[in-house]
Amino acid sequence: MSGAVQTALAAPAGPGRRAVRDPLVAGLVGLCLAAAVGLLVAPPAPYLVNAVGQLAAFAILAVSLDLVWGYLGILSLGHGLFFAIGGYVCAMHLLAHGVAVTGVLPDFVQFMGWKSLPAYWAGLDNAAYAFVLALALAGLVAFVFGLASFRSRVNGVYFSIISQALVYVAMLLMYRNDTGLGGNNGMTGFPLLFGWPMGSPGVVTGLAVAALLTLAAVLAGARLLVGSAIGRRMLACRDDETRLRTLGYSTTRLKLGIWCLSAMIAALAGILYVPQVGIINPRVLAPDLSIEIAVWVAIGGLGRLGGAVIGAILVNGLKFWLSAAMPEAWPFILSGLVLVVVLVLPNGLLDLVGWRPRPTWLRGAR
Amino acid sequence: MADRLRALLALCCLALLTFPASAAPIDRAAFAAGLCGDGAAQVRAAEGLVQAGGDLAADDLAYAGGLLGALAERRLACPAEGALLLDRPGASDGRDAVSGAPRPAAEARAPVLGLRQRAAVETARGTVALLTGPDPAARSAGLAVLERRIATVPASVLDRARDAETDATLKATIAGLAQAAALSSPDPARRRAAIAAVAASPSGAAEARLAALKSDPAYASDPAFRAALDAGLAKVTRAVAIGDGLAVVYNGLSFASILFMAAAGLAIIFGLMGVINLAQGEFIMLGAYATYGVQEAFRRLAPGLLDLYLLAAIPVAFGAVALVGIGVEALILRHLYRRPLMSLLATWAVSLFLVNLVRVTVGTQNLQFVMPAYVSGGVPLYADFVMTWNRLFAIGFAAATLVLTLLILRRTPLGLDIRAVTQNRDMAACLGLPTRRVDRLAFGLGSGLAGLAGVALCPIYSVNPGMGSGFIVDSFMVVVLGGVGSLVGTLVAAVGVGGANVLIEPISGAVAAKVIVLVGIILFLQRRPEGLFAVRRRR
Repeated sequence: MSGAVQTALAAPAGPGRRAVRDPLVAGLVGLCLAAAVGLLVAPPAPYLVNAVGQLAAFAILAVSLDLVWGYLGILSLGHGLFFAIGGYVCAMHLLAHGVAVTGVLPDFVQFMGWKSLPAYWAGLDNAAYAFVLALALAGLVAFVFGLASFRSRVNGVYFSIISQALVYVAMLLMYRNDTGLGGNNGMTGFPLLFGWPMGSPGVVTGLAVAALLTLAAVLAGARLLVGSAIGRRMLACRDDETRLRTLGYSTTRLKLGIWCLSAMIAALAGILYVPQVGIINPRVLAPDLSIEIAVWVAIGGLGRLGGAVIGAILVNGLKFWLSAAMPEAWPFILSGLVLVVVLVLPNGLLDLVGWRPRPTWLRGAR
Repeated sequence: MADRLRALLALCCLALLTFPASAAPIDRAAFAAGLCGDGAAQVRAAEGLVQAGGDLAADDLAYAGGLLGALAERRLACPAEGALLLDRPGASDGRDAVSGAPRPAAEARAPVLGLRQRAAVETARGTVALLTGPDPAARSAGLAVLERRIATVPASVLDRARDAETDATLKATIAGLAQAAALSSPDPARRRAAIAAVAASPSGAAEARLAALKSDPAYASDPAFRAALDAGLAKVTRAVAIGDGLAVVYNGLSFASILFMAAAGLAIIFGLMGVINLAQGEFIMLGAYATYGVQEAFRRLAPGLLDLYLLAAIPVAFGAVALVGIGVEALILRHLYRRPLMSLLATWAVSLFLVNLVRVTVGTQNLQFVMPAYVSGGVPLYADFVMTWNRLFAIGFAAATLVLTLLILRRTPLGLDIRAVTQNRDMAACLGLPTRRVDRLAFGLGSGLAGLAGVALCPIYSVNPGMGSGFIVDSFMVVVLGGVGSLVGTLVAAVGVGGANVLIEPISGAVAAKVIVLVGIILFLQRRPEGLFAVRRRR
């Protein structure tokens, strides 16, 4: 253990070199860019474009969880909360934008018998403000919750189930109709995106391309981060937090910073996801969905950014296909997949292809 | 309208004076003649019967009832003298109403009831049915008729019906009606007495009834009435508040019992192996389904003993779910030792598998349980507070589980092993304890406890494949709050979380209760990250 931490901290960490030395991430970034260009040049059927865009959003979400779980040893079973924050703020922007252009109030506002949007919706028709608000809100919630948890050294399984309770409570909250956020029906029927009609081929392609480009940027950025000095500290913290603290590093500040960053990336995924599916409702806050994010990461390969992306795309691709083809069988397949991966392929499916640049010191993340 | 009402009331008072309290026989011939008379005479006869009803002998009532029924069904024929009962409308022969002797019905007139007469006759028939009806259904039908014109029914009729009534619910209904009638009685003394009587058995309904009287004109004009009402209302309000408080405590206790049973197994497993079993909710669901299986087996094999199935299900559910748990440990968790975060995912996969397995094999509908006598109904204790047997069953069950589990942990070799491995796994292994076997048995014990929770839930909650997810988050919070591996901590935390939920819920809603409890737990962990009662570990 001690040797591992010291090696981790002492290893030369030229960020650029390490980024290049991860061909999987480099390949995936390249693939994203190529796919984005491909979609622009020769767009396939809109539903396929839409599927690609959704998968990219899920992949971003998976990367955000892998950052804290794979590299920091913090398993969040409540990442759906940050995804939902991004999604909800994005939906609010789309509706407010629609009201500003068309003047028609959304269904749920009429349903509640209100004459206008609630006061806290003010200014949300401005896209830039909504974007900043979504990220800031996710960061703030993550900061408060993270500060409370990390300061009192709540970690491991404890942290996981408390984060699960957090997302569960948020779900109960959003199921209420008087929150002004659509209640159990959620928000849907977005008319416009930046003035263009929702669902037109151009908008669909644009959203998918935006998601792909964001994924590429997030992947590259995350790779730079974990390859940097901070990344070395993250690994050290994951493998022996007490020792790192004894060495004089503030692990609370480190964990808090990465945790908030991860939450904001998850919110970004939510922002990209909602306009593509055209709806947001409290079901994205179901604890099961948050666990599924961890499942993507575990299946793809924990502690490998590329693994998270592959896992998210693989599981969700399978889910798109199988939950339509054989809805009864899908839960069995998913649970079987999880058990096989957890028991037989502890490093995820990357084990299958013999991808084993596996450091011996991943213990803290399990 | 008001005039007529006043006349009616005067008539009532008159009738009350005319008929003394002793069981006086009615003049049968005069009654028959009245029914055969003109409209006013018919009404007089019918209303006279209602007023006298409380004091009449049963055979008189039966006689009058027969005549009234015949009149309503047009089987009463009126010759020049006396009255005839026919077997069917329009028959040529009948029997004399008073003597019963056969008489020809030729030339006899069959009176047709006008609207007002019909109402009076119906009321009189209702009175007879209420007082002499052979079964509760007939009596309650009579009561339903009287209810519509309760102001014209004298207290003596209702009092007599209430005293003679054998059916408990019907008796309560009659008593309520009698009270309502007395509360709106024109006699101030009687009203005050009725207010005192209502206040003597406090309930939410009584409170509403008394509060409604505040808008009565007498409240402003009659100081004695006002004093009586204010005193009665204050008494009822206080009693209802106490009763509601008791109900909250009782519900909190029963919720806490369920939480405790769901969390006890979790806490033992978590303390021992550092594994949170996300499938614990599904183990509870399996326990409930095992109970259902036992019920069906009883239905097939021993229908006479069906009431005992809930007791027989206790060992079955424990054993079956413990076996499932041991299987899960042996097949899966054994390999995830020292990888607690992965074991979260693995147990989640198990829960997903179990939910869908049950969904596919049994179906998604709620299971129907036969409720044995010992878990249905309850006993009203104070004001609105009813101690329901099903919740008492859960509370008693949880208490028994607590005692048994404590005995196992404190007094058996297995318990000693579990405590040793919980405190220091490596040292226990060095001393030769088979730690893996202890793990497995403890996992079986923890799963079995979840199965028991499933049994206790059957009489209270609806049982379906998704039931496990409902309170699993709450039981996690109990484990986190209670501290690792401490059964007493789990108990205290369960009572705290359950009580807080039930206490906050009526004030600010179920969701706010959950939010406040979660925030409270997070804040609490700032002070004591190890939970309420952390077991001291030796490292």
